[in-house]
Amino acid sequence: MRLLKSSKNVANNLIICFIFTLLGLYIFTPQNQVYADNLSSPAFKVNMGTINITGGQKSSSTFKLTDTVGQTAQGQFNSSGYTIKAGFQYIYDRIPFTFKISNLSINLGSLIAETPALGTNTLTVTTGSAYGYTVKAIEDHSLRLSDGITTIPDTACDLASPCTQTDATLWTDNTRYGFGYNIQGTDVDVADFVNANYFRPFPIQGVNQPAIVMSRANVATNSAATVTYKVNIPGGQAAGTYQNNIQYIATPAF
Amino acid sequence: MIKIIFTLLSVLIFLLFPINTFAANFGLSVEPPLLKVSIRPGKSITQVFKLTNLSDDDKLFVARIVPFKDADNYGNPVIIPDAKADWISYFSLLNANIKYGEPFPIKSNSSEQLIVGLTVPETAKSEDIYATLLISTYINATDIGYQGSSVNASVASNMLITINQQEFPDTILKIEKFFPIDGTFIKIGNFYLADNITPLIFSSMVKNDGDYTADTKGVFRVTTGSDKPIYLDGILPVNIISKTTRVITSTGGDSFKFSPEMGNLGFHKISLEIKTDNSNTSNSITIILLPIKLGLGIAIVSLIIFTILKTTSKKQSFEIDTIKNK
Repeated sequence: MRLLKSSKNVANNLIICFIFTLLGLYIFTPQNQVYADNLSSPAFKVNMGTINITGGQKSSSTFKLTDTVGQTAQGQFNSSGYTIKAGFQYIYDRIPFTFKISNLSINLGSLIAETPALGTNTLTVTTGSAYGYTVKAIEDHSLRLSDGITTIPDTACDLASPCTQTDATLWTDNTRYGFGYNIQGTDVDVADFVNANYFRPFPIQGVNQPAIVMSRANVATNSAATVTYKVNIPGGQAAGTYQNNIQYIATPAF
Repeated sequence: MIKIIFTLLSVLIFLLFPINTFAANFGLSVEPPLLKVSIRPGKSITQVFKLTNLSDDDKLFVARIVPFKDADNYGNPVIIPDAKADWISYFSLLNANIKYGEPFPIKSNSSEQLIVGLTVPETAKSEDIYATLLISTYINATDIGYQGSSVNASVASNMLITINQQEFPDTILKIEKFFPIDGTFIKIGNFYLADNITPLIFSSMVKNDGDYTADTKGVFRVTTGSDKPIYLDGILPVNIISKTTRVITSTGGDSFKFSPEMGNLGFHKISLEIKTDNSNTSNSITIILLPIKLGLGIAIVSLIIFTILKTTSKKQSFEIDTIKNK
């Protein structure tokens, strides 16, 4: 009985200790203070600097600020009637925006009915001083013969889950015909292009908007993705050389 | 016999002297990727864009100015390649040997400078104009010579131009969204109850309802109930063009993050303050920091200790009773 009573006392003591611990923490833990009023005003007053002069990040454990110094001469707009700012404030060097494609000729070879033909190339982007980018794709028309009439239509993927220009789905059924692409790698929408069997048709110039194939809302250095082009024809497809043009547009964010 | 010797010779030549074939590749860099200009009607400027051909072979390129009006939430322009605008005529190429829409060569691993001129007529109306300098590979052949796709590449550089008598004409920025998206918190009315040892991550979006571009200079600030600042982070200065919305981030390019310390308890104000050359806006939320996780941890430990003690005491009292009965 006495022991039960003493255990109750222990529990009560623990609760009291807990409350006092919290109070102690609140009272005695030093609160880091930064004097934002002093810091914020220089950050606000620095007019957007002309890049390449000086600038940088100022930081401690409790604050991080960035500025540039070397602004276009104050009052320049009043005297000359214009100001020009080339580049970005947050990058202190002017680095070019770069786009590379490993292969501009996607040769799909001789086509055999119900045997998909594949081709690949790799897209690579370095944003340089830009903070983000997109790569969009569009085709001039479906794969077609020089008569301009006979085409291999763009794929609709497997019947169970038809794909669209912005929604990739499975295309594994060799009795489903058409032309489409898959993309795998960095800065690719992996929720859409789940694996190498997910395809989309290209949008068509003059009819549709270009589709985003790569994008990043941040600095990218040599972000690379491999595009796989796939064509599959039925037995009755007219013989000939089917061709089209695919355009990739790489745009830095502003 | 002669036929066999000829075949063997052909095979030998083929094996000893293979023909090198290169798939044509593409590489192009553009600098600067952004040009921001404030200009009065009746004035002219020039800007040099440096293009470098990083392909393995010499290439023909074509330069075009493409207008755009819209952008996504991350500052990527929505480019419609065949879009038109009256003010395209304000732009000109001042190179002697390069014209818009006409092919010009750049040797492999060499650079070319495009001198872009902008002349704003005296009668031009005050407005923002947004354009992209689009540099594309030039393809002329109608028959590419094989079955498949020829690939064409374009690289863009954006131009944000403000035509006005003032350098920074007023615009209207609004912080449309500012709230925690990750951490341990619950929303009660206008307040958030949050744990005081779990980092909080915030989502924030700004809309430019005005007619001119603004940038996002400012701070993300955390203050205590007594208005003492305890955390400060800069806002990544990016451009928001007219009538668009943009996600804003910390200077590191990530969502704003506040990691409270053990001693941070009670009311805290978390604010986003944007003060630019042509617009000011701010938004704040109130968060009550409580030792939720710590409290739960201690409560669980206390409960375990209490249960152990209770079980032990029962056992001991049972033993005492047994001894007494004996």
